[in-house]
Amino acid sequence: MSDKKGGIDILDLIKKVLFTDFVKGLRITLGYNVSKSITHRYPDEEKWIPYRRFRGVHTLNRDEHGRELCVACELCVKACPTSCITVVPMEDDTGRGIADRVAKIWKVNLVRCLYCGYCEDACPTRAVRLGREYELACADFKCTVRNREELLLPQPVPESIEGGLVAKAKFERSLSGIKVTADLSATKKRAW
Amino acid sequence: MEKILLKNIDKPGSHKLDNYVRNGGYKAFAEALKLKPDNIIQMVKDSGLRGRGGAGFSTGLKWSFIPKDPTIPKYLCCNADEGEPGTYKDRAIIDNDPHLLLEGMMLTCYAIGAANAYIYIRGEFVFGANRLDEAIKEAYAKGYLGKNILGSGFNLDMHIHRGFGAYICGEETALLESIEGYRAQPRKKPPFPALAGLYGKPTVINNVETLACIPAIIEKGPKWFSSIGPEKSPGPKIYGVSGHVKKPGLYELPMGTTLRDLIFNHCGGMLREDRALKAVIPGGVSAPLLTPKDLDTPLDFDSLAAKGSMLGSGAVIVMDESTCMVKAAFITNRFFSHESCGKCTPCRDGTPWLTKVLKRLEHGEGRPGDIDLIESLCGNIFGRTFCPLGDGAVMALRGALKNFREEFQYHIDHKKCMAS
Amino acid sequence: MATIKINGKEITVEDNTLILDAARKAGYEIPTFCYQADLMGIGSCRMCLVEIEGQRKLQPSCITPVLHGMSINTDSSTVASARAGVLEFLLANHALDCPVCDKGGECELQDMVHKYGPRTGRHAEPKFKFHEKDYVLSQVIIKNSNRCVQCMKCVRVCREVVGRNVLGALGRGDHQEPTSFNRTFLDCDMDGNCIEVCPVGCFMRLPYRYKSRPWDLKGADTICPYCATGCRMVIEERDGQLLRARAQLGVGLNSETLCARGRFGCDFVNSAERITKPLIRHQAATWAEALASVKDGFSGKEGKHIGGVAAATLTNEELYLFQKLMRTVFGSPNIDSSSRWNSDAASAFIHAASMNEGGVSIFDCMEADTVLIIGSHISDENPVSEYIVRRISSNRRMNLIIASPRAMKLDSSANVKLRHLPAAEKAVLDAITLVINAGKLSEAEKLKAIKDSKMVDLLTAAGVGVDEITDIAKRLSASQSVAIVAGTEFLRFPDGTSGLALLKDVLKNLGKKVTVMPTLDRCNQRGAWEMGVHPSFGPGYATAEKGMDTEALLEAAMRGEIDALYVVGEDIISDYPDREFARTALSKVRFLVVQDIFMSETAKLAHVILPGASFSEKEGMFTNQEGRAQSIRKLLALPGKAKRDLDIIRAVGELFDGSFGPKNAVLVLDEIRQVNPMYSDVSLLFNNKKNSDNRLDNRAALVKCAAGVLPAAGEFASKAVSSRMEEHSFALVTGSHLFHLGRFSRKSETLLGLIKGATVEICEDDAARLGFVSGEKVKVKGKNHEVLATLKTSTGSKSRVAFIPESFEDAEVNRFFRRGEGVPRVSITRANQ
Repeated sequence: MSDKKGGIDILDLIKKVLFTDFVKGLRITLGYNVSKSITHRYPDEEKWIPYRRFRGVHTLNRDEHGRELCVACELCVKACPTSCITVVPMEDDTGRGIADRVAKIWKVNLVRCLYCGYCEDACPTRAVRLGREYELACADFKCTVRNREELLLPQPVPESIEGGLVAKAKFERSLSGIKVTADLSATKKRAW
Repeated sequence: MEKILLKNIDKPGSHKLDNYVRNGGYKAFAEALKLKPDNIIQMVKDSGLRGRGGAGFSTGLKWSFIPKDPTIPKYLCCNADEGEPGTYKDRAIIDNDPHLLLEGMMLTCYAIGAANAYIYIRGEFVFGANRLDEAIKEAYAKGYLGKNILGSGFNLDMHIHRGFGAYICGEETALLESIEGYRAQPRKKPPFPALAGLYGKPTVINNVETLACIPAIIEKGPKWFSSIGPEKSPGPKIYGVSGHVKKPGLYELPMGTTLRDLIFNHCGGMLREDRALKAVIPGGVSAPLLTPKDLDTPLDFDSLAAKGSMLGSGAVIVMDESTCMVKAAFITNRFFSHESCGKCTPCRDGTPWLTKVLKRLEHGEGRPGDIDLIESLCGNIFGRTFCPLGDGAVMALRGALKNFREEFQYHIDHKKCMAS
Repeated sequence: MATIKINGKEITVEDNTLILDAARKAGYEIPTFCYQADLMGIGSCRMCLVEIEGQRKLQPSCITPVLHGMSINTDSSTVASARAGVLEFLLANHALDCPVCDKGGECELQDMVHKYGPRTGRHAEPKFKFHEKDYVLSQVIIKNSNRCVQCMKCVRVCREVVGRNVLGALGRGDHQEPTSFNRTFLDCDMDGNCIEVCPVGCFMRLPYRYKSRPWDLKGADTICPYCATGCRMVIEERDGQLLRARAQLGVGLNSETLCARGRFGCDFVNSAERITKPLIRHQAATWAEALASVKDGFSGKEGKHIGGVAAATLTNEELYLFQKLMRTVFGSPNIDSSSRWNSDAASAFIHAASMNEGGVSIFDCMEADTVLIIGSHISDENPVSEYIVRRISSNRRMNLIIASPRAMKLDSSANVKLRHLPAAEKAVLDAITLVINAGKLSEAEKLKAIKDSKMVDLLTAAGVGVDEITDIAKRLSASQSVAIVAGTEFLRFPDGTSGLALLKDVLKNLGKKVTVMPTLDRCNQRGAWEMGVHPSFGPGYATAEKGMDTEALLEAAMRGEIDALYVVGEDIISDYPDREFARTALSKVRFLVVQDIFMSETAKLAHVILPGASFSEKEGMFTNQEGRAQSIRKLLALPGKAKRDLDIIRAVGELFDGSFGPKNAVLVLDEIRQVNPMYSDVSLLFNNKKNSDNRLDNRAALVKCAAGVLPAAGEFASKAVSSRMEEHSFALVTGSHLFHLGRFSRKSETLLGLIKGATVEICEDDAARLGFVSGEKVKVKGKNHEVLATLKTSTGSKSRVAFIPESFEDAEVNRFFRRGEGVPRVSITRANQ
């Protein structure tokens, strides 16, 4: 390649004159300019609704008659690898639960939990499920522990929705904290 | 054949003591009181009499197990809890010839040295219990019971104990529990009742029919007795025939009469000529059934055992071809599960399970694999129960399944009965 | 001996050994449900089936004895399939509601199915259900029959061990249900032994219902704090609350049995009424202030003006340190361990029962040809001792003689039951001695004392017939060995001790082996005496400078001679048989320190109250009535600022002597071992290990013989009552109730749920004569006191005897008593009259 050293490569010169590299580089950038966006504008405008298989914050479920499914058998406690669940049973035959054994205390420490789902597997009545809530950030240690009453509340994302969607969301800031509310009627498929 | 056990039952007033004595009753007892008790045991042994309750154990041998020590109280219990479905032989004796039973019991008590005898009578036999009660009162009045009987120095009291309709009370140790006032559930053996029976004392338990044979043995001698029927199980036997025959009823025949003879000769053949014989249960529902090919089997202990069945109580149930064997098996099994005493696990929980499966089959809700399930459950029950009740239930069911498996399969496949 | 082969392994065992036991001995485990070592075998569950060579059928190993030359297979595939088959049957109708069931996690059926069971269920039929909802069978039992495996252990333990016979089976076949008659509410001993033996969640504890899972519980293997039987039990807590106490099969002399008090009464430690901080004149204070106040109170006081009373519910270590504190630091010989009887009575009883000769195992006693139980209502006072007597007597059929004024449950096992007048133990024993010695009276020097007594007088004094006495004497004479079980009545009426000592000597002279076992009603009464908490002897019954007992202390206080009194755990006002006197006397004590866990009547008068620890919060040893030294274990943290009694006693000692010690329980025990020859071999490890062959007797734990010889006891005046009385008049006796003993039980919620108000028990004939019916309210009026109580009738008690238990606050029974007087007379009338 000794001949190259001396003269000027014409082709190279033409490329330089025509800004070829520049156009090449811009093609990627400009391409994104006109392609569909996959960024979620979270939390201001959009919120991701995960699939059903997602393992988020625990939920306690009820049967079709509204009775608590949990019989406080404490198997989830036994199965839990991080001992983040505490269950204390009690007797209540007023029909609160499906059996006369119900949970007096059912609480989970969400920052200890590693969301492995063993508790789900251990549950003989399918009372505990890992739900689709994932917004755990808070300014207070107290809210890292969720107790029975909170976990029994209906989930923001109902079971009927399959998930894998991006919903329109509203970001709210109040004295009690911050909240991102999803509007489940306005959703769109994730774009990939 | 000359009737021995049922000789009096047709005669008017046969239950009265006077009539019984007039027909030669209590002669054997009066004579026996002059003999030594051991002689009587020996005579019964020589006669070869085998228990008529079902197991066919040698009666004389059973008596000889009783300790001879006179200071130990001993008891005789008469098993009149005739609970095996199809059996009604003892009832005929109790109702119509109670003194024959009483005489047999008196002889037995004298032989074993018992001063107290109990008759455990099935609760439903109200009439029989009253008859027995009267008969015992008569016997007391005439000095056949009580203190110093007939001047011999022998004392004997008899008590009637009425059951409450539990099949298990036919099992001898359950019967003892029931007399003692406990739940009727079998006891563990050993100790056998001959050593520790009623109230922990030596006890002989004999069936009504067995005891009814005793007076004749004493009166006519063991040789005469052992000349009737086959050598291994001699004597007369009452066959109670029921089912699809022309003349069902009680037939006193020598042991070893063949099924064919019994059904087609004595009972006048099948009820409807156009329906063929399908199955025969030779000795109460716990005996596995026989099929027409076994018709020439002699009805005695050993021959039936060789055929895989048993003589049991001698209750012959005849079924013609219109009978659904699944239904028969279901009904039989339902009986056993209802009568299971609840003591041991396999019988208590196994027989109701079988009943549930059979009920499904019978009602056309059978599932594939049910027959295997039944066989497996039978295997888990058989030989693992406390007393023979569970075994009996399984034997009956296995007998039906062995011979009529295709009917069970038909029920599963077609959800209906093959016979109809 | 029979030599058999088990799975090819040859083993020689005694004749009539059960195959099951032989196999366990050989190291093969055979699963069982219905087998229990102490109960009669029924062979009904069929889990233990084994294969015996040459036998067609599998045989139940739990009821089949070995025969020489047997070859047994416990591991064959047939056996395995039989086990799986049985478990499949058991599961067929089993409710399978393990997540709800309280037994889940410690259920024998679960364990068995995991180990032997079928891996798949084939039962696809509808299950039979006895009932939809669990039903309550008594205040402590809740029942779910759908889980029953019909092992009938509950029924058998109730009949054979507890002797109540209130459980039976309803129905037949798979509808068989072990329960009470018609499932009605049980009126029983509430001991919950049916719960303990239940392998599944059929019988369950009501107080423990839905509280926890077995894996949440932290347990400690300890000793029951109620009577002196010394039952071993495990107490278990969750989150600092004691949730249950349970016995363990094959551990401790009680094996799997406990009484109502032990099993359900330990929840007093959870009570909100516990004292949690030191109080000075009932004002909260710090420990430093309280101890400073104690120092002020005791400083400069003369030993003879100081006294100390420590309850017999403390551990040996605490009691030892307490007497050391009193004797060496305060220089005071005035120490006592009970306020219910005086120390001379205790000395006489110790002497008569030969307690200085070392421990006597109850199992040895039951080996005797004749067992005489006198001076004890053993069925109510020491229920588990009673179970042992009943169980062994039904197997061995020895003579069992019971002499007591009141009828008891054990009577049904007794050959002779003698009903004598209260406080007439001496007359009864003397009469027996007279009959045994008829003709030889002049020979024995010792018999002089009763030589002059006339048989007729003795019989009248005891209120018994001559035939009964003759019968007893005949049985005693015919026996090679005699065991006498002597109870607390000898402490209440100490004149009986001389009769006991005499009978013992006479029988010994006749060449018989005589053992005397005391039965006591405080968990460590024997330990208290042997640690020297007694005014006339030191540790190990060593002779000591004679001091004042509780009674003498109260008398001295009445005279104003007591400057400082240190009371640990004892409630003198509630226990001393003359409440008003005790209260007045204590109020005159210049400085009263009470160390307790509850605010007792005595504590209310105290200048300083120091919060102590309950049995579940400390470690140490109790010596039971037999002389078995057993250790208790710490389970719970101390409530509030309370401290262990040992630490408090040491802290008090250190106020005056900086070197006072030893410093901890282990070191104290070391010192006890050196000082007290009876305890030279005692070790903290003396807990019965779990043993498979059910030998419950740990002889190593029995204390040894004392070094010195006890001085002979003095004579006591008789407190016997005359049998002639007016129509409504009764002789009042007291003692422990089946559900309540001492004061701890009165803080137990469960036991209060069983019975709260006081009862007065009289015999049925008297009730009929006076027209009373059981359960009605009656007025019991004595010379000094009257109470309203619920009438309870008992069949077969001595006529004219009324019994009021000593624990009930609403019937302060010690107010009926007056010092120096004998058995009080009371009249019983309708409440509204």
